[in-house]
Amino acid sequence: MIGLTHYLVISAALFSLGIMGVLTRKNAVNVLMGVELILNSANVNLVAFSRFSAGNLSGQVFAIFIIVIAAAEAAVALAIVLSMYRLVKSVNLDRADTLKG
Amino acid sequence: MNPQIIQDLHRFYPEITIAAALLAVILVDIAFPRLRKSMAFVVTGVGLVAAFLLTIPLFGAAEGTQFYGMVALDRLAVFFKGFLILASFLILLAAPGSRELSRSHLGEFYALLLGVTLGMVLLASSVDMLMLFLSLEMVSLSSYIMVGYLRHDRQSNEASLKYLLFGVVSTGSMLYGITLLFGLTGTTKMALIREALAQGAASGNNSMMLLVATALILAGFGFKIAAVPFHFWCPDVYTGAPTPVTAFLSVAPKAAGFATLIRFFFTGLSETSGASQWSPFSPLNWTLLVLILSIITMTFGNIAALRQDNMKRMLAYSSIAHAGYVLMGAVVLTAYGIQSVLIYLITYLFMNLGAFYVVIEIFNGTGSFDLKDYRGLYRRSPFLTISMTIFLLSLMGIPPFAGFFGKLYVFGAAVNKNLAWFAVIGALNSVIAVYYYARVIKAMIIESAEDTSAMRVPWTGQALVWVMLLPTVGLMVFWDRVQQLTRDSMRLFLGS
Amino acid sequence: MDTTLVAQIIFYFFALLTVASAAIVVFSRSLIYSAFGLLFALVGVAALYVFLGADFLAATQMVIYVGGILVLLLFGVMLTHKLYDLDLKTETYQFLPALLVVAAVFLTLLGVMLRTTWHSQEQAMSPTTAAIGELFMKDFILPFEIASIFLLIALIGAAMIVRRRAE
Repeated sequence: MIGLTHYLVISAALFSLGIMGVLTRKNAVNVLMGVELILNSANVNLVAFSRFSAGNLSGQVFAIFIIVIAAAEAAVALAIVLSMYRLVKSVNLDRADTLKG
Repeated sequence: MNPQIIQDLHRFYPEITIAAALLAVILVDIAFPRLRKSMAFVVTGVGLVAAFLLTIPLFGAAEGTQFYGMVALDRLAVFFKGFLILASFLILLAAPGSRELSRSHLGEFYALLLGVTLGMVLLASSVDMLMLFLSLEMVSLSSYIMVGYLRHDRQSNEASLKYLLFGVVSTGSMLYGITLLFGLTGTTKMALIREALAQGAASGNNSMMLLVATALILAGFGFKIAAVPFHFWCPDVYTGAPTPVTAFLSVAPKAAGFATLIRFFFTGLSETSGASQWSPFSPLNWTLLVLILSIITMTFGNIAALRQDNMKRMLAYSSIAHAGYVLMGAVVLTAYGIQSVLIYLITYLFMNLGAFYVVIEIFNGTGSFDLKDYRGLYRRSPFLTISMTIFLLSLMGIPPFAGFFGKLYVFGAAVNKNLAWFAVIGALNSVIAVYYYARVIKAMIIESAEDTSAMRVPWTGQALVWVMLLPTVGLMVFWDRVQQLTRDSMRLFLGS
Repeated sequence: MDTTLVAQIIFYFFALLTVASAAIVVFSRSLIYSAFGLLFALVGVAALYVFLGADFLAATQMVIYVGGILVLLLFGVMLTHKLYDLDLKTETYQFLPALLVVAAVFLTLLGVMLRTTWHSQEQAMSPTTAAIGELFMKDFILPFEIASIFLLIALIGAAMIVRRRAE
């Protein structure tokens, strides 16, 4: 019997993997992929809770808004990354070092 | 159409005005190729002034929630609406005069400024977690773009990238926490969350989950107000962004973050519905948590500022420290605490923006943000030197300037709640802060430099600095008005 | 739908697909493998939505996340590397400390999650599209309108940052 806990375990795994991606990756686009994992984990939570805990569709609607926000953020993030590539010819986060000190 | 919605729309005029101004700016930018620069500026200015004027009557309006419980209209919301619109207007005035932005086309900047204002206003009134998150992201996204506005400047680009990466992770974690809270209570509306928690949704084993969820949500708030340990983006972003944007970030989104923090903890997680005394749910030792956060934040901010030679970086750490002082007001769980937060924010708005305005003018004249280029400024521009000195003295908390009153109230709120030792730590921190503020004053007045040519400050710049100086110096005179205003603004609507 | 053996097998398949693909995103040495890992992870999540009865959301996920965001990320990957750099190897920061921290986070989350009694109010599965549409026009009308302004801002901002016109 597939219950709430199954989904929660999956979302916890996705969240943790997403955090891992953000902490360890040096390529900016790779970090963005980690962020998308985090947002998806939250969405899985929302839809699962909508089904089992809320008894209505509010969680699903919330998830739709998160997808919208994620799309907008990805667009702006990639714009900034592309801008960095034009200025520095690399998107390795090691090269983002002019502000130190 | 639903009559309730029509009523809500009638009390939504400020937000509608800002949105209309946003659309107007875009159209004007496309339609008037020659007059572009000034037209967009005028449209934005008119829009913000109109929105501010439309906010004033709302102060006496009936309290309640709007749009099916998404946003609340209460005194606190109206106070912040006015505050945030005013802050955006002041930044609008400063933007064209800055040398950093002089080579960029500012049409999009004004559009973004209006967008971030709309987001902040909604953030300060949100009583539903979805609305809260959506407005938070709106503010953040617009800020990322504004920080990276100088597309050809490597530092600006790097600052926006760091801001974005840090921001999306913090808000992503906050979102995860929100979903856990959703699962515990079955609802996203703060008032209903409180009811569910009161009925025992967080009792027993569930208290751990409430703690985890709240900690994650705090990550998002901490990021917005730049509290330690979520402050890492702050120095780099403040340094790399164009200075008008830095000035904006140091005041407006921070204030909006505090507004929503107060609202979330008072409306969503409190046990009583009265606004004069409030106690959080038992597993949540809110006092201890925020106390520790406040102490770490102010201490770290002040100590890190000691070693900075770049004015923007120093002011970044200084603003981190000031967030710590504001948190002190939030620790005491009383209406007096909220009032002290509001007073501190008012004083902070004027003195911090004032300091940044002077930094902008000095950059316009010297092209530098380094402390060593501030030496002997007194000979070059006595006006800038004196005003900067006043702003720095106010930031230190020296009477009779406005900053003193802010500190007086937050320390007073702590003492009132038998947390005198906490106030003492705050006072000690202020003493540490004197050193790095005084270093600047000393450089400007006492030290000398070779270049003693007079620095011309355009009248627009001078006027702006005066606009910030007058409240900083004269707040004392209007003290009861300010007190009255903040006391009236302490009312939060806690129902659904 | 939750009880038959076949249904359970299919569920576990998709669950494993999602988590394994996410692991590829995070641990793979090649950027292209990460991108495709993300593709499968997003598809897996869409399948999970179907299992939860969220039909409209599953379709939205496929169209927007896979069809939009993922394609955007692939553009990002391709446009930020020189043509001859076909390997697209990626390096990592301080792998081991991060792994320990994340493992701690995961175990904490898991431990607390499994011990909690969640709010219980089940909902029967039925087609959701019409109901979601109604909610957008009623309960969620304000976020709906604000989201459109939000997208406008994102559009203006992203376009402004990357346009090539000389200053």
